[in-house]
Amino acid sequence: MTMTPPRQKVDRDEVFLEYTKSICPVCKTVIDAEVNVKDNRVFLRKRCTEHGKFEALLYSDAEMYFSSLRYNKPGTYPLETQTEVKDGCPLDCGLCPEHKQHACLGIIEVNSGCNLDCPICFADSGHQPDGFSLTMDQVEAGLDAFVRSEGEPEVVMFSGGEPTIHPRILEFIKMAQDKGVHMVTLNTNGIRLAHDRKFVRELAELKPTIYMQFDGFDPETHIKIRGRDLREAKQKALDNCAEFGLGVSLVAAIEKGLNEHELGDIIRFGVKHPAVRSVAYQPVTHSGRHVEFDPMQRLTNADIIHGLVDQCGDWFRLSDFVPVPCCFPTCRSITYLLVEGETVVPIPRLVDVDDYLDYVSNRVMPDMSVRGALEKLWSASAVPGTDGNTGNQLECATCGIDLPEALKDIADKSFMVVIQDFQDPYTLNVKALMKCCVEEITPDGRLIPFCAYNSVGYREEIREQLSGAFVPTIVPNASELQPILLTTKYGSKTFGNGGNGGNGGDGGDGEARPSRHVPADATNIGRNLRS
Amino acid sequence: MTEGPAILAVENPEELKVCCSTAYQRDAVALILGESYHPGGLDLTRRLARSIDLRTGQRVLDVASGPGATAFLLAAEFGVEVDGVDLGDQQVAAANAKAAANGLAERVRFHVGDAERLPLPDESVDAVVCECAFCTFPDKPTAASEMARVLRPGGRIGITDVALDPDRLHEELKTLAGWVACLADARPVEQYVDLLADAGLKVTLREAHDAALARMIEQIDARLVAFQMAKVPALDGVDFGTARQRTALAARAVRDGIAGYTLLVAEKA
Repeated sequence: MTMTPPRQKVDRDEVFLEYTKSICPVCKTVIDAEVNVKDNRVFLRKRCTEHGKFEALLYSDAEMYFSSLRYNKPGTYPLETQTEVKDGCPLDCGLCPEHKQHACLGIIEVNSGCNLDCPICFADSGHQPDGFSLTMDQVEAGLDAFVRSEGEPEVVMFSGGEPTIHPRILEFIKMAQDKGVHMVTLNTNGIRLAHDRKFVRELAELKPTIYMQFDGFDPETHIKIRGRDLREAKQKALDNCAEFGLGVSLVAAIEKGLNEHELGDIIRFGVKHPAVRSVAYQPVTHSGRHVEFDPMQRLTNADIIHGLVDQCGDWFRLSDFVPVPCCFPTCRSITYLLVEGETVVPIPRLVDVDDYLDYVSNRVMPDMSVRGALEKLWSASAVPGTDGNTGNQLECATCGIDLPEALKDIADKSFMVVIQDFQDPYTLNVKALMKCCVEEITPDGRLIPFCAYNSVGYREEIREQLSGAFVPTIVPNASELQPILLTTKYGSKTFGNGGNGGNGGDGGDGEARPSRHVPADATNIGRNLRS
Repeated sequence: MTEGPAILAVENPEELKVCCSTAYQRDAVALILGESYHPGGLDLTRRLARSIDLRTGQRVLDVASGPGATAFLLAAEFGVEVDGVDLGDQQVAAANAKAAANGLAERVRFHVGDAERLPLPDESVDAVVCECAFCTFPDKPTAASEMARVLRPGGRIGITDVALDPDRLHEELKTLAGWVACLADARPVEQYVDLLADAGLKVTLREAHDAALARMIEQIDARLVAFQMAKVPALDGVDFGTARQRTALAARAVRDGIAGYTLLVAEKA
């Protein structure tokens, strides 16, 4: 006979950090979620009664995640909201009265058609027969809703699809400007800018800031992300912008294993090119169409920041990147550089940004003008450009640190670096979403937070409304979901197994018709323990 | 001395005490350092306040109060009344105006005065703070005894300051005595402790914050680069190459443990 050893209690291998809500990445039902820290990485975990347990990496540097949380500015009420609170976040978008922030940036997707068919496209756009193209009236209705909500909106971005192929894009830009929008940006792949110099000249008269997809220099990067080697077109587009005086922000979609090694090369190129004022790095959003990925190994803002420090150690270190306080601070980090020739100075080395943007510690603020200036720089509405707000705010911020008159022409030498991780159906955290300040403006006059739009089912709903064609529920192309995924007519994924689970699509053939893309909250089940 | 360390060349080191009040120096120093900058920023000010255990309603003296950032922070976050003393009459006037503008005039007052002849009665305050300034006082024993005089028995004084070992200081920094004002007459920590002890102030806490000094030197260097880029007229004639060589030397002194930044708390018996 042997003695049974006493049973030992075992410690968990993670720290439980937050309780929040998310959605099932398959059926999009709202479910409870928890955020845990393990091995200095932050994860979101959730369980759908129908589709099982899911976990995804939110932030690959827990210390950075924690220190970001101090940069959390109290939100601002918009002048009006567009919806009522009925089912709770994220089903009432938007904006509903419970949303914690006004809209710093409004996006209008003017079409779904595109002159490319990229393997990676969160908007699921391309050469498609059943898309939509907004009318002047529809764009005006959206702009009017935005103006009613914001008064004088900071930034409107025209996107798509590919907005430059919309025949009325110049009129849309003009209309936004006429309605008092401070800054208009145009989100483009650059193909038309490369080949249509007349169009570039006409654009230059309106002076929008160009946001141009720019993912790297390896042909492999172009093929895998855009489906074509576009190096020549990108260079030509940038040169045309420089010639006609259009400022450009390079927007790099970064995917694990594809182009993370090109982070440094992209910014070194950008700093040298006369048209480029900014680089925005975005870990690929696993919404819409994308390559297969592992949610536990995805790229996060922390990976981009560490990557930049590794690849440009002579320019950057971790503390140069400061979280943006207007949205939820883990979503976006920004730095500014002063550049002259080979000399580069990150602005956070000149001024203690913490002393102004750490809203948790700082209850006394001796110099509000400095804080105000820094808030505008570290904002989702910060747009690079000499004639725009950024130049003035840099001057103002630097005045605050006692550089009177000193850096008057500073805007000419400034360069913005943005790192933005958009949420997807795996990573959606309602806590962060509630303070989102980047909104999709819909023709029915709603302002829907961008990550809700891409993750929860709003994109499918709106596209279906606008195009009249059935749009299935889009599901992330995650490795673990492969057995149940079907390819949609747009190249994205939906789930099979009969497909609609009461609300979803049935996959590629477009036959079944979902009743609703936004399923009910399964956590607020409307009963108490003993009922 | 009014605010923080000066870093541009002082023609005559004997004039150290008044250098910051000359117009050129004020502009140049403010340009390079910022109005209220001291190593560690507001975070170290908070730590200092907690180290001397400030309580709501107490009366605090800030020696070398500059534009008043520390005084305002102490009043707003720790609920104390603050008297700031500074050599520069314009600084004092501006700080008083700011107190009035922020509705703090009742609780925060600034006075023109010399650290070696404090314009306050004996035993009139519960605590004294002095940030990055003690090292610049030419007559340190007198300054220490003045702080002790105005402090009530059992009261605490909190100092943050540059500490260094002059014997090991790099020749180039040493001979340029006035170049970095704080380095010019900074002492090893033990000497500060002895100076305070001689004035009847017993040191109960000493804490190294060398990283704060390293950060400040780096900030100065970054600003020099920015000014050079911007071709600031106020800095015409400044030899940026030499200036940056010296910041590099200063940074090395911190790395090698020759210069550091220290937080001291002392108690009056």
